[in-house]
Order: sequence, then structure tokens, then C-alpha cells
Amino acid sequence: MKTRTTFKLNLGPQHPSTHGVLRLLLELDGEKIISCEPDVGYLHRGMEKMAENMTYIQYLPTVDRIDYLAGFFYSYLLVDLVEKAMDVKLSEKVKIIRVMLLELNRIASHLLWVGAFLMDLGAVSPFFYAMREREMILRYFERLTGQRMMYNYFVFGGVRHDIDFLEDIEEIIKILPSKIDDYERIITENPIFVSRTKRKGIITPDMAKNYSITGVNLRASGIDYDLRQNSELYQGFEFETVILNDCDAWSRYKARILEMRESIKIVEQALDKIKSFDALRQILINPLTLKLPQREYYNEIEAPRGLASCYIMSDGSEIPYRLKWRTGSYYSVNLLRELLVGNYINDAIAIAGSLDIILPEVDK
Amino acid sequence: MDIQELKNLFGECDIYDEKIVIKSRMHDALVYVVSEYSFDILKSITAVDWGKDVGVELIYRLYSTINEEDFCISIISQGDAESVVDIFKSAQADENEIYDLFGIKFVNNKNLKRLYLPESWEGYPLRKDYVQTDMRIAWNENENDI
Amino acid sequence: MNYLYFLYIEFLSRHGISKLFGDITYYVIPFCIIALALLVVVLVLVLVERKLLGYFTQRKGPNRVGYWGVLQTLADAFKLLCKENITPSGADKFLYNLAPILVFIPVVTALGIIPYSSEFTFVNTSTNVILYLILAAFPVLSIFLAGWASNNKYSLLGGMRNVAQVLSYELPITFVILGIVTLSSSMNLTGITLAQYSQKGIFGWFIIPCILGFGIMFISILAELNRCPFDLPEAESELICGYNTEYSGMRFAIFYLSEYTMLFANAMFLSILFLGGYLSPFGGYLSHMIFGESHLATIFVYFEQAFWLFLKSSLIIFGIIWIRATLPRLAPYDLLKFSWVLLLPLSILNLFFMVVYKFLSGGAL
Repeated sequence: MKTRTTFKLNLGPQHPSTHGVLRLLLELDGEKIISCEPDVGYLHRGMEKMAENMTYIQYLPTVDRIDYLAGFFYSYLLVDLVEKAMDVKLSEKVKIIRVMLLELNRIASHLLWVGAFLMDLGAVSPFFYAMREREMILRYFERLTGQRMMYNYFVFGGVRHDIDFLEDIEEIIKILPSKIDDYERIITENPIFVSRTKRKGIITPDMAKNYSITGVNLRASGIDYDLRQNSELYQGFEFETVILNDCDAWSRYKARILEMRESIKIVEQALDKIKSFDALRQILINPLTLKLPQREYYNEIEAPRGLASCYIMSDGSEIPYRLKWRTGSYYSVNLLRELLVGNYINDAIAIAGSLDIILPEVDK
Repeated sequence: MDIQELKNLFGECDIYDEKIVIKSRMHDALVYVVSEYSFDILKSITAVDWGKDVGVELIYRLYSTINEEDFCISIISQGDAESVVDIFKSAQADENEIYDLFGIKFVNNKNLKRLYLPESWEGYPLRKDYVQTDMRIAWNENENDI
Repeated sequence: MNYLYFLYIEFLSRHGISKLFGDITYYVIPFCIIALALLVVVLVLVLVERKLLGYFTQRKGPNRVGYWGVLQTLADAFKLLCKENITPSGADKFLYNLAPILVFIPVVTALGIIPYSSEFTFVNTSTNVILYLILAAFPVLSIFLAGWASNNKYSLLGGMRNVAQVLSYELPITFVILGIVTLSSSMNLTGITLAQYSQKGIFGWFIIPCILGFGIMFISILAELNRCPFDLPEAESELICGYNTEYSGMRFAIFYLSEYTMLFANAMFLSILFLGGYLSPFGGYLSHMIFGESHLATIFVYFEQAFWLFLKSSLIIFGIIWIRATLPRLAPYDLLKFSWVLLLPLSILNLFFMVVYKFLSGGAL
């Protein structure tokens, strides 16, 4: 009797397109994937254990490292949680500054994704184009905070110093829309790109919910869930939630492109608002005496890679009793188990790329 | 969310802030709230170690995309818990992580394995009784090297 | 026999050297020169590709070693020479070492049958075209061998992809070439070149009647060369580096070398078939216009012819690089479908057109 034999392929942890150190143990029949077992933990730094041995201000700078492409989001989570716990009234300008920086960071993160995704599909140029625009944003962050990726700019009760160099942002939002048009011109309708992504890696709405997929990936599956719409932080900003119904890799790409355009709108509005303010006046929380009252705290935000949340159990001392991060990518990796099965290797790369997995976020 | 109804079905439960703590039958409770109140996303499972005497608290954070509301239910576990992978596949990720870092054994979860740490790792780091003076800060196969 | 040959033999006999020696060296020496020159060409080609890709993506490309980065590829080649040759422990050592050599031989041989000018064709058989087809398809065997012998699953997948790819794109190429053979009534590359000669220069080239065939052939050659968007056998983001994942040092350099030599050879082949080979695009040669009908001009014409051929193939290479900078990679099944469903019928249609064209233009079939 003839039997079909399969073989195991170790995709990663060192592989050009696993975006870090993801390891997928694939079982292949020819090039067709029969089963997939993700293996994570190559970048585990014990962020949660670290928190239990540090005061809040000691911990704050490390938080940016959870997601090196969107550091502002995670430091915002922690800072905002502490402020809510201490019942601090923030000045209006601080809030707007935070919104603007968060959205700029979201654009930078999505830009990198567009480049890396196209790189996964074998197109070289879009990566450099996307990097060029991302560079403008990172340059601005560097001018403002002194750092390109790990900003440590938000502090308990405000921001480290007043916002500056607004002319840079003006230039960014002037240039970016036309550049995004450029990407769309060379990517979106490209027949090869479409054939590689349309109807590939379909995440049905039920599957997305069952696997706890959030963020752009969920919205590209047709479910309206955007934390920004109801959040206090984004009040007074006009923007739309991007919802696409195709559920495939192409719609996840398109959703990110559209979301960048929405983010540009938010940045524009925030810029206008900031200009109407005087110099920043804020009362910071003294971090040395900072003790959260004894109870549990929960805070969540719409990060570029899905819902990010921070849970702190405080026992009233200066260090948290327990701190837990919830990150979007972690659940996307779990989804690969089912999503890749039945696809060919090349599609698997495209599908895994379309989920926007960032490994430091997975491993924490 | 009708608390009284839950109480009738699952016995005594305590209510803190926005969280409901039930004593047992977490799996049944989740099946119930999923079918009755259409909570369709399990955002996360958080584990908190309350020390040896109490046990580990597992906090299930649910969300309903239909009613747009959050729900938080928790249970104290004494070392093992019921797996909810058959309701929410995302729980596989959370349960693996909790097994890895807290040592909670989830019954009926077939793929339970250490996730971040190597299989040979002793102890569960996020437990409060975990020995912090561990010399294996840089993990090495050969312990004599350290 | 022609002018340069007589000059050479006469020069030898004046110094008392036998004609046999002259007969042999007359072909061997230029071939060696061309083969060595091609090493340089490959170095330049790699540099040009990196520079062009740099400019396409708004970078500078290599610009540190030497002025404008001209020595970069030389430095890379030197680095590859110095690197250790690693043989994976599970590899079939004999086949693993054989594969780079087997991939290089047909590539260099293919250079020998290309008419660089009306004088220099080293192997001039009456069925050069067929010989070229065989030589161009031969590396696929060695690439599969390399993939198999490496004992690496990525290499094996790369080798398998390459076989499927080259097999399905050989057929359109063959049918297009049949069309050209019909047009020119010759299977000899020099014959095909000369059949494109006309006083109107560019209008005699086969690209005018056979533009469809040119398109098919261009795409198929991209696939045969594993160039983007058909670079599946070495798809970096999927198979790491495909069949040459495990190769390092000089063995890798040989793969690289043969890949680029093949690129150049195929570009020359394409320009011979469609762009009039070494013919001048103006009808007459510039040398004749400048130097008149002197002896000097006759010699200069040979160089001018080689120049035209190089220029035309450079244009084709530029197109290939441009495509690389623009397009994403095809999926394997799309690639096969593209060939069997679209290119093959089109190439047969093209052959039919060519026969009709030849018949209407009054040529004997």
C-alpha cells in the first residue's frame, strides 16, 4: 500500500520573515501545511515578574520595550492607569499631546508593517518607501523625546516636557497622505499582490472572536470594535472606524492603509488644538512616594496590534503585587495554529505577515 | 447581568467592584454567560497568586461585541482548574501562559505545555513562593558554567 | 573564413608558427578573453543592479568602497573567496561539491555559441539555437542536485520549485524560438542576426513582427533565470535562500557567478533573437561613417558590433532589474498556471502568426 509521507519543517526562530524570533513547527505534505505549532518564548524578558520587584517609576522606562514599534501605547497604559488610580486631574493639553503622539506612533507602526508585509511577498521597494516616511516620524520623536523607539516621554501626571517642533508634524501630515496614495498606486491594485492576498488567510468573524483577535485584524473581519470610539481620551476627535468585510489578507492590508489615513486626520485635529493652548502647566505625581491604594486596576487601549491592556493588583505598597499585560499579537500567534493549515508555504508567510505579529509583544 | 440568577445557578458568589467571584464550576458559568448574554470575546485570563493559603485567582475578562459590554468573572484555584478551550480557543494561549508561570493545571486541555520557559525549568516564577535567589538568570544547559 | 583570421594566420606564418596552432588559438584565446571579461562583467552587473535598486528605492546603494562604490563587488568577491567552505554534516559530500561545478560549466559553454560580432562565434554549428536551449536548461539539473545534496528542507523545496518552473517555461520559449526560426529560415544564431539586417536598421528587427513573442520570451526568461517576480527557488522570505541556503564561500560565489553570467547570456540571446544582435540600429555602422571603407574601419566594426550587442543586452538587463524593484513574488501555483494557461497558448498563436507573416511577405517556408 502506498502511503503519503509528510515531513516537519522548522520555520524560525531564525528566518527572514518571522519578524523576530517566532518559531513555527510545520508539518508539510509537499508544500502544503498539514499542521502548525507555534513556539514562542525566545524573547521572553519576564516583564511581569520584573514589575513585582520595581517601583512604578523604575518600571516605567522598561514598559516601552514591550512593543518596540509602538512604545507610546504601553507607557500610556501604565501612566494612565496610575493617574486614574490616584485620581489625578490632567490638564487638557497633556491629553491632546498624548493623543497626537499615540496616533503618530500608530502611523509609524502601520508603515513598518506595510513595508515588512510587502517584503514578505517579495517586493523590495515598498519597504524602503515605507521606511522613508516612518523615518520622518521617528526623527520627530527623536527631536522631542531624545529616543527613536523607547521614548519614556509620558510620566505619571503628564508628559516629561512640553511639546515642541510642531512644524515637523505639520510637514509630516502634509506629505504623508500623498505618500500613502503612492503606496496604494503601486501595491493595492497590483495583480500579483491581489492574487497573493485576496481570499488568502480568511478569518471569519466567529473565528476571530473565538481566537480573541482584536484591533485591525478584527475590524478587517467585519466586526465593529474600536476602543477609541468610546474612550475618554479621544473625545472631541472626529474619525471613523475602518471596517472591511472581506476577512482576507488583502482587507487587512487595506484596513491598515485606511486606518493610517484616519490617524492622520486625528493628528491634524490634535495639532490644531495644541496650537490654541498656552505653554504646558502640569502637576506631576511625585514618583518617589507613589503608592497605589489597595485594590485592582484595569486599563485598556487600542494599540496598533490589537487590544492592549494592563492589569495591576496593588497591595498598597510602592510596588505592584501583580501586573499583567495583555497584548494583541499573542493571540494572533495562537490563531496561526488553525489559520495556516491547508495553505502552501508561500501563502503561510503572507498570511502570518498580514496578522502583524511583533515578537517582543508576544513574549513580554 | 443578573447577579441573582448567577447566584442561583452557581451557589455563593462575591462581588467586588466590577468583578464576580464564583466558587466553582467556571466552565459552566462561562457556557451560561456566553449563551445567555452573548459574550463572544475572551479578552484575557489573568492569574493572581494570593499565597499558599488562598490559592491562585483566575480572572476571566469577557466582552460582548453585540451588547458592547464588559464582564469580569473570577475563580480561586487550588492548583488545577477547568479548561475553557472548548468555548474560547484563545484560552489556549492564556492557559499555556498561566500553566507556565503559575503552575495551574488545566483539566481537559490537551496541549498544555510550558510556553516561555524550557521544560526543564523548576518552579513557577510568578508564584509568590518562587525562590527569587535563583542563579539561573541566564538559562544554560550546563549548570556548572554559572 | 574572414578578414581577421587571415591577418592572424599571416602574422603567425611570418614568424614561422604552424597554421594548426593558429587555427586553435584563433578561437581559444578570444574565448578565454571573453570568459575573463565576463567575470568583470558580472562584477559590474552586480554593482549596477545594487546601484539601480538603490536609486529605485531612493537610496544611494553601495557607496563606501572606492569612488561611487565601484570596488564594492570586488570586495564582496574577495570576502567570499576568503570565507570558509562549510559542508553540512548530513550532506551528500560528493554531489554537494559537484553541483556548483555542474551549474557553471553549461553557463560558460553557452557564452561560446553567442555571435559577439560577425567575426567572433566560437562554436558555430548550423543548429546553434537548439544547443543554446539545451545549455540554458541544463543548470536546472545541477540546481536540483544542489538542493537535494544539501540535506536541507528549504534547499530541497527550492530545487523542486526550480524544476517545476523551468519545465513549464521551456515550452513557451521553444515555441517562440520556432517562430523566429520560421522568420529567419535559419537555426544558426549568426543566420538569425543577419536575417534581421536591413537598410532601415531598427525596422528590420524581429521585434517588429514578433512583439508578442518578445513579451512571452522576456517573461519566460525571467522565470528561467529565477528573477523577480519568478524568484521562487530562492525566495528569500519563504525559503531563506532556496537551493543555495547551505552553500558558503567560493561555492556560493560560483552559484552567484553562474546566475549572473546566465542573466547576461540570456539577455544577449534575447537581443540576438529580437533586437538584431550585433547589428547597428542605424542600418550602417558608425565605424564606416567615421573611417570610411578603410582596413581600420573593418577592424573597428567588429568592436562596434560587440558594443551594440552589449548595449542591447544592457537595456534588457535594466528592464529586468526594474521589474525586480517593482513587483512582488508570484505564488508557485499561479506561476505554473500563468505558463500553461496563458503563455503556452499565446506562444503557439505567435508561431501561427509568424508562419502567416512569412507567407504573406513572400518568403519561402
